[in-house]
Amino acid sequence: MNGKGLLRLIAIAVLVLPLGGCWNSRELNELAVVSGIGMDLVPETDEYRVTFQLVNPSSTSTSTSPGSGKPAVVVVSATDKTMFGALRRASKHVTRQLFFAHTQLIVLGEPLARDGINDIFDIFERSHELRLNSEILVARGSDAASVMKLLTPVESLPALGLVKKAQNTSSVWGENRPISVFDVIHGITGEGDLTINAVKINGDAEEGKKKSNLEGSETLTETVMSGLGVFRQGKLIYWMKDSEARGTEWLLNQIEETVLDIDADDKKESVAVNIIYSRTEVKTTIENGLPVFHVTIAEEGSVNETDSFVDLSKREDIMKLEQELEKKTRAEVMQAFHKGQQLESDIFNFGNELKRTNPQEWAALDGDWGRIFAEGKLDLKIKAYIRSTGMSLKPYIPEGK
Amino acid sequence: MFMKKEVIGPNQLLALIILFELGTAVLVPIGLESGHAVWLAILIALPGGIVLYLVFAHLYLQFPNQIISGYTRSILGPWLGWPVSLLFLPVLLYNGSRNLREAGDLLISASYDKTPILIINSIMIIAVMYILSKGIEVFARTAEIVLWIVIIMGCICIIAVISAGLVEYKNLFPLHMSDYKQALKSAYPNILIFPFGELMCFTTILPHFNKSRKIKKTGIAAIIVSACLLSFTHAIEMSVLGENLYSRTAFPMFTTITLVNMANFIQRLDALVMLTLIIGAFFKLTVYCYAAVAIANDLFKVNDTSRLVVPAGVIMLFSSFVSAQNYSEHMNDGKTFLQTILPVFCAVIPILLLLIHLVRRKFGLYR
Repeated sequence: MNGKGLLRLIAIAVLVLPLGGCWNSRELNELAVVSGIGMDLVPETDEYRVTFQLVNPSSTSTSTSPGSGKPAVVVVSATDKTMFGALRRASKHVTRQLFFAHTQLIVLGEPLARDGINDIFDIFERSHELRLNSEILVARGSDAASVMKLLTPVESLPALGLVKKAQNTSSVWGENRPISVFDVIHGITGEGDLTINAVKINGDAEEGKKKSNLEGSETLTETVMSGLGVFRQGKLIYWMKDSEARGTEWLLNQIEETVLDIDADDKKESVAVNIIYSRTEVKTTIENGLPVFHVTIAEEGSVNETDSFVDLSKREDIMKLEQELEKKTRAEVMQAFHKGQQLESDIFNFGNELKRTNPQEWAALDGDWGRIFAEGKLDLKIKAYIRSTGMSLKPYIPEGK
Repeated sequence: MFMKKEVIGPNQLLALIILFELGTAVLVPIGLESGHAVWLAILIALPGGIVLYLVFAHLYLQFPNQIISGYTRSILGPWLGWPVSLLFLPVLLYNGSRNLREAGDLLISASYDKTPILIINSIMIIAVMYILSKGIEVFARTAEIVLWIVIIMGCICIIAVISAGLVEYKNLFPLHMSDYKQALKSAYPNILIFPFGELMCFTTILPHFNKSRKIKKTGIAAIIVSACLLSFTHAIEMSVLGENLYSRTAFPMFTTITLVNMANFIQRLDALVMLTLIIGAFFKLTVYCYAAVAIANDLFKVNDTSRLVVPAGVIMLFSSFVSAQNYSEHMNDGKTFLQTILPVFCAVIPILLLLIHLVRRKFGLYR
């Protein structure tokens, strides 16, 4: 090939190359950004009703001025046998093509959760737009659509608000942990069962759709994080609340920070200890064909408040508090563990760990892991330390009052 | 006849080999049978890869001015050597086209869902034809520069994945006896051939190397570096995704990177992975294309290399989407190809050549 021919080739290439980029072009003003997806089961059929929360670009300015009139999101629903079918069918309602790369939240309705969720997550793996790291919540006592429709104060995008709520409570209260679609798929494919954060609507769901709900200083209808939903074989069977939920997180080594109210000598639950560090280690052995779970929890906390007299300047008193802390933690963990056993549902990742560390013994176990787990024993060791007492030592409250 | 001999320096060869090795192997799941010990399997295959490379390098040192088709004819004699060398052509073209197909399919499923594969593949092959028409020296110098880009992008990705807290060492350990066995089984011959055996293409590039004393050192260094990078990357992918997801996903690196979310700020680094894919595929394709062109040149005594570049490129382009109807068929073909044909051309023939050569030399059978 001579120089001229080469030049021609280059010229053609230069002209053709940029055209390829236009093939898939999707402009921002032709997209409807989906911030959250709600999934429900249509009653008495096997169809999914999928609810999309779309960002309304004209009213999502950074300043949350109330005067703009329209709400920040628009919600549309579509029904189909498959998730993808539903999301394409939604085109009948929406002027723009749905765009999923910014989907932050997936909400499952309670009826769907009770019916089974094992087969709905394939699209999250297969699609290049939907993300595996979207947060997932299960609606307690309602369908997902009503959760998606609820407007939230402070955050202009309700889906983002729910995600932040889940993350916020996970990091300081410890009854929840951030759970993404990725984690749920791991739970489904692994041994044992899984839990998903639950969210509940307080108040009238119909009122919550309206912007007037946000106009008072108190929102009458709001969403509240409400413990964990326990799934056995992909089906929702139980709602875990309060200390049960926290005990579960403890066994899963997911406590980032939490608060325990422990007993002082003269007043019950009067010392607030902020747990700032907690590490859980699990080792499973098989004895006589039944598993024994050796769990060691090491926790550190600081006394952040005491409403009765505790002489925090004395080492003995601190040690007494540490023992109380251990007792309290033990009670919560045992409560969660017994509930799990009662449900025959290994939501504590024990099965996966056993399989990973000791595949031979795992293979030797016969029968249903849930049942074997239910007969297992928990060997719980807790080490609690109180590292600091805040800005003061002795409280101002006089002794013995 | 020759204008000026094109030469490649040690750094350029190093960069070429690393980019070639990383190529597509860093993106697609390799050595699936080895489960979570895939990183170990890569390291186990490394010594074998070095031995293979030494075979190629030794042959080159014996025949410093000839490419593989040249010394095949010298060793086996022209009557047997010519047809054997000819067989390399379809293998190289087909394997090159497989890389093109993989890159195209991954680009389509990961981002360009509405673009026809013809367009994506032809854009890539046009770039290949362009750089080959500029000559191997230009290509090698490009590699030297691009290697740094790839390393920087790789570092960004890995730092992002690690600091996003996604890495779970639990997914890599512990290793049990059965894991070692499986790792060994997938290392030999599968990982040995893909990606290490594919270095066979470099038998056509080595004659351009200008410091033949350094040939073994450079090559071995490059192979060790690339094996470590491969092993590390796959270990990260495995530790993030877990064995189950890793084995199911078509594009583990992409899935891994989509999970990155650092402080709600650094996320969706997909573009970096796409770039790595395009760069890796480009270098692999170009080396394959060059190898095919060089062998055809030598066999058919065509003096001007660039005249064969366009036909070779067009053949690759068409066989890339004619060869299989869908990705699954493509992967199945690949498995068979990897287990039957490729080992013959990447390992068996070169080793036999070396043995025959040593025997002939020892007994003075060369006239």
